[in-house]
Amino acid sequence: MRTITKKPEVLAPAGTLGKLKTAIRYGADAVYIGGNAFSLRRRAGNFTIDEMKEGIAFAKEHNAKIYVAANMVTHENDAKGAGEFFRSVRDIGIDAVIVSDPALIEICATEAEGLPIHLSTQASATNYETLNFWKEEGLERVVLAREVGMDEIKEIRRKTDVELEVFIHGAMCISYSGRCVLSNHMSMRDANRGGCSQSCRWKYDLFEVDGENDRQSLLGGEPTEDFSMSAVDMSMIHHIPDLVEAGVESLKIEGRMKSIHYVSTVSNVYREAIDTYCKDPDNYKFNPAWEEELWKVAQRELATGFYYGTPDENQQLFGKRRKIPVYRFIGQVLDYDEETGIATIEQRNNFGIGDEVEFYGPGFTHHYQKVEQMWDEKGEPIDRAPHPLMKFKMKVDAPVQPYDMMRKKK
Amino acid sequence: MFELVATAESVKQAEQLVDAGIDKLYIGEDDFGLRLPASFTTEEIAEITEIAHNKGKKVCVAVNAIMHNDRIKTVIPYLKELEKITVDEITVGDPGVIHLMKKNDIKLSYIYDAQTMVTSANQINFWVKRGAKGAVLAREIPYEELEKMAKQVTIPLEILVYGATCIHQSLRPLVENYVNFTEQKTKTEKERGLFLSEKKDPDTHYSVYEDQNGTHIFATDDVNLLPYLEKLVEVGLTTWKLDGVFTRGDDFVKIAHIFAQAKQAFKEKCWSEELMNELQEKLLSLHPKERTLDAGFFTMDSSDVK
Repeated sequence: MRTITKKPEVLAPAGTLGKLKTAIRYGADAVYIGGNAFSLRRRAGNFTIDEMKEGIAFAKEHNAKIYVAANMVTHENDAKGAGEFFRSVRDIGIDAVIVSDPALIEICATEAEGLPIHLSTQASATNYETLNFWKEEGLERVVLAREVGMDEIKEIRRKTDVELEVFIHGAMCISYSGRCVLSNHMSMRDANRGGCSQSCRWKYDLFEVDGENDRQSLLGGEPTEDFSMSAVDMSMIHHIPDLVEAGVESLKIEGRMKSIHYVSTVSNVYREAIDTYCKDPDNYKFNPAWEEELWKVAQRELATGFYYGTPDENQQLFGKRRKIPVYRFIGQVLDYDEETGIATIEQRNNFGIGDEVEFYGPGFTHHYQKVEQMWDEKGEPIDRAPHPLMKFKMKVDAPVQPYDMMRKKK
Repeated sequence: MFELVATAESVKQAEQLVDAGIDKLYIGEDDFGLRLPASFTTEEIAEITEIAHNKGKKVCVAVNAIMHNDRIKTVIPYLKELEKITVDEITVGDPGVIHLMKKNDIKLSYIYDAQTMVTSANQINFWVKRGAKGAVLAREIPYEELEKMAKQVTIPLEILVYGATCIHQSLRPLVENYVNFTEQKTKTEKERGLFLSEKKDPDTHYSVYEDQNGTHIFATDDVNLLPYLEKLVEVGLTTWKLDGVFTRGDDFVKIAHIFAQAKQAFKEKCWSEELMNELQEKLLSLHPKERTLDAGFFTMDSSDVK
């Protein structure tokens, strides 16, 4: 039986230390985080050096890696302190930094020797000669532009040996990343320095100029649908065999701003799908439960971006939006007593007796049940768990483990 | 040293621009160059180069596209052709092209032009070490930063003094997708004159068109730095580009001539407010009526941008 031993890495986003640990527990081989400087997600929880140290210790225990995104495009003075920053992340044991700005690449290469550099998707690397350029500059890995198709990736793989990383899940820029300054011009917020105001998702009218130099709506009168550049999100869950066979080293999940619920769910699904394929590729069968699971944390419709052709109107958010059922993260398991079948849980959202809930955990374990018995910390029976972060006990129908999560359909 | 660079939309206009006082023509073919007024064949590029060289002027060819595998394969034959034609320079934005030039011993001078991504002196000096002979500045740089940058860079930094600013490039056919969804039909190329406007700000006017490099969207206001040329001269930013993608024909040639007069006045140290006002008035009368002008990020403070 054929098996695949060179599995691609599942790379998950981690906006906080809690999310970092969750992603790794739920199967991520590596996580990417932002430092307090030079990162493109100003509003994502970014890590201090001490938090990074704690993350590194945790990752080492679990044989996982941590990359630090320093992908801003610097203006004069923005690069101040970058050398020291790169040296300190190198010295505490960060595995690589993700950079797009050549000035930062140079600073990193000369002032923090030995720290591997990954080229960010912001640099729009779309062909193998570009990768060869960066390889000669000493970069270890290139995150390809999201505009690169599957056949192009395969050709790139044949013609270069720098490591390849591709996005497989999450929200997408509608532009070539880095080549969009809508936000700069429309709201004075620099998209390439962490200020993106997502102007692409706003509503616009499309006009032409008539002979009299007056503007005319292209669709005449009151158009029924506004112009927008809003893209649906990406999911490559149906194409795991293609991704693995293309020989890319790392499969990246977008979302440093996303929740623990999202990070745990998406990491869990891709871990399971990739393991399933690599274990026995010739008898691989797609499991519809993977996709169902992804819909539970989806915010928009899902599609495959540029992997299989240029995205048409169906990959943009026009018309009536698909109704996506909302699932709420309601609790996290702290402990479980095998003898009594009682779990200790920390609440995340209000729920109570009679609710249909779902437990899920690392290794793609799941069980569904009705909540029947709950007790507070003193052992008194309760009907609901109304308080944020309150600890309580409940009877569960199947064994659970610490760090398993509970969710409920809204 | 002053240098006036201008795009050309035809062989005829190229000749007129040279006569109007332009030092360098910026032309190219859409497969390799971004957002040009016209896409020229190599024969046309050769013809324009001959015209320019006969009058002691230069030609720079746009090779600044983001290239996918299919195009990076064809770029070397193209560059060899350009070498044969003896064009003076090319612009490059994709490091793959730089890699290939070195590997194939292509001797063309290149100017680094990655559009929005050229925002600091250290970035530019990175490319200088890798052979760049010039760089095209991003449009989103306030003057106080330009001043600092100019001090740290020894190669010419090209700055847009007149013309449209691209603010978005997507590989998706955004207009086509929209008209398909709304079951309309329209052409989407730049001659069509389509533009977008924000729902919440109807005064905005973002020109939009599609070509083989994707969808291009432009800022409401075209740039005009004529009133600020003195500040550019003060800090040594004297490579001035004029972009005619939305200003066509004779009007663009006349505007080029205005900047040539300004250049001449600086050279002869007779630039005055009076002359500036006179030229500015002329420029405003020639600029397309449906388009507005301002100084863009030039007059902003660094702290205005979050």
